[in-house]
Amino acid sequence: MKLLIVDDSSVVRLAIQRDLENGHITQVDQAADGEEAVRLYQEKLHDVITLDITMPRMDGLTCLESLLKINPEAKILIISALRDRATALIALKRGARGFLCKPINPDELREAFELLLTD
Amino acid sequence: MKMTDQDIRIFITMARRYFEALEPKPTLVIEPPFLRDELGPLLEYTGIIPVSGRCEGAVCFTANGGMLETILALLKDERRDDAAKRDLVGEIANTLSGNAREEFGSDFRISVPNVIVGPRVSADLRTGGRNYAIPLNWRSETAYLLVSLK
Repeated sequence: MKLLIVDDSSVVRLAIQRDLENGHITQVDQAADGEEAVRLYQEKLHDVITLDITMPRMDGLTCLESLLKINPEAKILIISALRDRATALIALKRGARGFLCKPINPDELREAFELLLTD
Repeated sequence: MKMTDQDIRIFITMARRYFEALEPKPTLVIEPPFLRDELGPLLEYTGIIPVSGRCEGAVCFTANGGMLETILALLKDERRDDAAKRDLVGEIANTLSGNAREEFGSDFRISVPNVIVGPRVSADLRTGGRNYAIPLNWRSETAYLLVSLK
């Protein structure tokens, strides 16, 4: 299974990778902004994507739309510090499969990831 | 929007939540906020989040390298270099200000973090708002959450 982690913080990217490392994942790629994420996704069509919202160059909500244009079935989990209901609803309406708030709770992250895999 | 004591309490709640996520029973002591003529104090690393929308200004998290190294260790991140500390301080500022949208709503717009090292002047720090400093004492070190919004 291929995982793409998109966040402008390398600390967060590494934490997500560590929290999700298990037998399912065969390849992990990381992107620091939306543009890099779209380029990597076009190339590799990852099975699951974790996506931050507040990022330079291309924000996560714009990136979400671009990824879903490439593959409407893309499994995208938003992981953002933006803890307001309106943003979560926008992300879910645009096609995200889940929304987690930072700071990341590793148990919640693994649970959301497992749900995505079985979705 | 003029900042009120209630608004400042929201940021205190977000700081407490962040440290509780790091360890189950954090030894975090938050001192009463105080006002300053300018945004500060600035420690070794400062993450600045410019804010716009319903209010304008900045939210900052400032800490010394030692505290950031401790947090990296708790996050099981083996790096202790300058780049990792800059990244972390920006991410903490981003998390604290982004979480505040739970109370302030989505019109509390935040930008990506700017990070400065050392007590140097930054245009982002001249907000024209009231400058609150919230001391966060944790594991024998002090960081500050700085809030200046108008």
